[in-house]
Amino acid sequence: MKLHHKLTSIAVGLSLMAGAQSRKIDFEKYELDNGLEVILHEDHSTPIVTVSVMYHVGSKNENPTRTGFAHFFEHLMFEGSENIERGEYMNIVQNSGGTLNANTTQDRTYYYQTLPSNQLKLGLWLESERMLHAKVDQEGVETQREVVKEERRQRYDNQPYGDFIEQMFSRAFTQHPYKWTPIGSMDHLNAASIDEFRDFYKTFYVPNNATMVISGDFESDEAKELIADYFKDIPKGEKEIPFPKVEPVKVKGPIVDTVYDEIQLPAVFTGYRIPKATHPDFYALSMLNSVLAGGESARLQRTLVDEKQLALQVGSFPYGLEDAGLFIFISLPNTGVDLTDLEDGIYAEIEKVKKNLVSEKEYQKIRNQEKADFVSSNSTTSGVANSLARYDVLYDDVNLINNEIDKYMDVTREDIQRVAKEYLTKENEIKLYYLPADQQNQ
Amino acid sequence: MKKLNILASLLMLSSTLFAQVDRSKMPEPGPAPDVEIADYKTFELKNGLKVFIIQNDKVPRVSFNLIVENDPILEGDKAGYVSIAGELIGEGTTNRDKDSLYSEIEFIGGRLNTSSNSVFVSGLSDHSDKLMELMADVIKNPSFPEDAFNKLKKQSISGLKANKNDPGAISRRVRKALLYGKDHPYGEVETEESLENITLDDCKNYYNTYFKPNVSYLAIVGDIGKWKAKRLVKKHLKDWSKGEVPSHEYETPTPPEKPLVAIVNRESAVQSQLNIGNVIELEPGNEDVLPLKLMNKILGGGSTGRLFKNLREDKAYTYGAYSNFSQDELIGYFNASANVRNEVTDSAITEFMTEFDRIIENPVNSEELGNAKKYISGSFARSLERPQTVARFAINTARYNLSDDYYSTYLKRLNAATPDDIQRVAKTYINKDQPTILVVGKAADVASKLEKFGEIKYYDTDGNEVEAPTLYENPEGLTAKKVLNDYIKSIGGKENIKQIDNLKWVQTATMNGRTIEIANYYAAPNKSKTTVSMMGMNLMDETFDGENMSRKLQGQKQPVSEDDLQDAKINNNLVPEIAYIKNKEVELELLKPQDIDGKMAYQVKVIMPSGKERFYFFDSETGLKVKETGYQEGPDGESVAQSTEYLEYKEVKGVKFPVKVTIPLGPASAEAKTKVIEANIEMDKSMFEVN
Repeated sequence: MKLHHKLTSIAVGLSLMAGAQSRKIDFEKYELDNGLEVILHEDHSTPIVTVSVMYHVGSKNENPTRTGFAHFFEHLMFEGSENIERGEYMNIVQNSGGTLNANTTQDRTYYYQTLPSNQLKLGLWLESERMLHAKVDQEGVETQREVVKEERRQRYDNQPYGDFIEQMFSRAFTQHPYKWTPIGSMDHLNAASIDEFRDFYKTFYVPNNATMVISGDFESDEAKELIADYFKDIPKGEKEIPFPKVEPVKVKGPIVDTVYDEIQLPAVFTGYRIPKATHPDFYALSMLNSVLAGGESARLQRTLVDEKQLALQVGSFPYGLEDAGLFIFISLPNTGVDLTDLEDGIYAEIEKVKKNLVSEKEYQKIRNQEKADFVSSNSTTSGVANSLARYDVLYDDVNLINNEIDKYMDVTREDIQRVAKEYLTKENEIKLYYLPADQQNQ
Repeated sequence: MKKLNILASLLMLSSTLFAQVDRSKMPEPGPAPDVEIADYKTFELKNGLKVFIIQNDKVPRVSFNLIVENDPILEGDKAGYVSIAGELIGEGTTNRDKDSLYSEIEFIGGRLNTSSNSVFVSGLSDHSDKLMELMADVIKNPSFPEDAFNKLKKQSISGLKANKNDPGAISRRVRKALLYGKDHPYGEVETEESLENITLDDCKNYYNTYFKPNVSYLAIVGDIGKWKAKRLVKKHLKDWSKGEVPSHEYETPTPPEKPLVAIVNRESAVQSQLNIGNVIELEPGNEDVLPLKLMNKILGGGSTGRLFKNLREDKAYTYGAYSNFSQDELIGYFNASANVRNEVTDSAITEFMTEFDRIIENPVNSEELGNAKKYISGSFARSLERPQTVARFAINTARYNLSDDYYSTYLKRLNAATPDDIQRVAKTYINKDQPTILVVGKAADVASKLEKFGEIKYYDTDGNEVEAPTLYENPEGLTAKKVLNDYIKSIGGKENIKQIDNLKWVQTATMNGRTIEIANYYAAPNKSKTTVSMMGMNLMDETFDGENMSRKLQGQKQPVSEDDLQDAKINNNLVPEIAYIKNKEVELELLKPQDIDGKMAYQVKVIMPSGKERFYFFDSETGLKVKETGYQEGPDGESVAQSTEYLEYKEVKGVKFPVKVTIPLGPASAEAKTKVIEANIEMDKSMFEVN
């Protein structure tokens, strides 16, 4: 008994050292003959189920003279199908007690609905209708065009600093389609013919370009039969699916520009080109980001906001995409603070990481933060569905849902210093000043 | 080929025949699953702190959420101090300065947030003890450091400034001031002045007076056992001492006597932000809450709501139109909102009013009601996935004195609501006869069409009533021709203008540190040449010989359309206004005068033979041209105004020329100053040759 007790306490001690173990997420993955990849994850704790489909199409697959198509389709794909009346898609889901949404990035388009668990069949029917014969017609195109224009006005044009991502990416990329963002150009949408929309649908909205995830309260055997019923007869796409060529990683900078906007406080946005999200350096850059901006005790917050009080807000984040990324700093000065002083403050912090290794203690802190974030990241059925789809479509490795944390843990202190030196350089920099429009004559 | 098609359609036919499912019909649901609310444990410490424990081991995390409940506080000329006090509580304790506090908490992967009525800590459940210790330190021993106070004050002021142009922020500020009145705690508006007035002692007083265990609730949620949770709370919080807190009462805000149209003028707005609403008396637990939830869902709760269908889907006025309401022990609100294009602002309000009428006057049909019930039941079930929901239910039950089975009978009561109930609550809570209609937008474009909805008043971004922007009228008998003739006289008159044979005029402007030079050459009657260059590099070159025109952009020849050429013949006069009067093909229209820098300016619209329109503004006193505006299509098909402003004139050979001008340069504008202006000089005529 005594020995047993001793062993237990050692085991407890060990597990504390290792940090909390995240609950393993079980899943099953298989592929239909038409190329549709299916991932199932059962979780019976709440009587709900998420049915989602991720299409491997984003703004980077667009024709440069037809930007905005992928995002436009996210809207168009709710217009209905041969068996779903126009505008009824949302109503059907909500009137069945479910919720739905969709979003588009540069790399992929994602649709999901979370329904009461007795409505799994409904979810499959809806998604299969969308994949098989969605309504792509003039009336739908015209309705959604107006809606997308309003979305642009509301989210980008009428918001202070609302277009900074667009401004940043348009300067960071000269060849790659990342030079435009998913919202795209209204002119291009206006100019497009209905045949072009139909062609886009036939090219990208095909089972061999999609991953479907079912997550939540359902029985796998039953689900597999239903999936076969609704999806196996959807024909495989016949067109070639275009993907862009990848550009060299760094920019030939520095690129400096000014944007005048309806704002009161100026702001500086600084971006650095970084590798794609699956590159090992991206994990090191994410850890570097934690050092700089991961919380109240992170360096930028502590020095520039708390100690020197130069910034109202300062932060950074790695914007990781399938082909390339940007490491972006955002800073808003406090009233009366000169922009250059704030910029110098940020540069000083960057220099510090380049010059000195982060301390053991700080290194341990960011590792613990990554672990805590990782265990928290998949706490809902819809969250799990999204992660599974993303890991499959963009990383081609669904197991990352359980072991991506290892990639963060593999990052050393030296790696953090190295990526700071390699990517956060003047030559690789895009800097954007946002100044109040009424200053533009000075 | 034909055969193949037949074969293909046969194949299609057979696959339809043998398909397992009938696609044409929406699948029926299976039997409804049971919705269960997880259990929780509760106990009270001797100091009055009520604790709720919701155990859930799905993820190895735990969160501690303290809610302090007091009557709302009227802050008066120090509006903003309660919220600063709340943030200050998280800026360090007497045992740990901010840096060590956050280093400790973030070292274990945790987070900490404070506000005036809450402290929230979360992290890995392995570290529950440490998390509770740090939380208790924050709750019991905040140190209120002076420098942190100054920082927060500075940040709040900067934050106010940053939001000054944000139509959403403006709407939120002004809306509450209008609904509740500025003498009500819900209607107070923070200003730079009120923030300046706050002292560190105000913040300390707030904490010392109101932050007490006997008015607080603590929810512990996550992977932690009941006994451990209880032990931790006792260990760290039993010595938090209780105390009397003052209570406050306020007069209930009343709606305006007649409908109010409140406009916050935003000159640059491309959209109007609309909020239409009224105060409501609806305390949590009131039996009307669930019927009102259903009513709101049907009217404006998301994309299946009537407002959304009408304003977005049918009319395409907006990206979204919604309604919502709040239940509150003191006073709540009903509100409907949308961002709409300037030109449809009045039509959008009409549609809102129509929808209010419809739901008040007619019972909803049973399908609509059934759908709303399914939707709300569904979101209720989904919300139970998060253990925080159970914590919220537990705290609400205690805080608002709800019956013990309030949440367990929620779905039953929801499903019992009838169309009559919906109509009754619509009538009770939508005050369509005394609404407050707030429009944050461009008054010049929208105001004149809003009189029919109520009394128009103007407000600044702090919710103070201000004078209406001056709307001028043209004097009797004024015509567009007269305005142009007066202008011609004011710059020197036709006789003097005729004396000018040629003109050289060079202007410079600075943009982003670069100098741009604009050189104009003119020779009577209508020859002209304009070159725009930047640091020696030619950007644009336009030459007109009286008949033909050439245009080059960075050396590249551009096509010139027939329309452009036709207009150029008129526009290339030294004073084109003379030609506008003479030429029968040019249409002139006198529009309403506008306020330009506090002065009345007459407005003339000139329509060229090509159909192109331009708007000219002339000072009503001096007759001089002060501004002209044309509209171009922007990158997204929107209309972008391109204005030239004439700031200063100088006489050359008896004719006044604008020597200080603001010119549009792409999306921005820059001030152009005249470097050289000379008339009747020796000029090489060959420069006007078009090749």
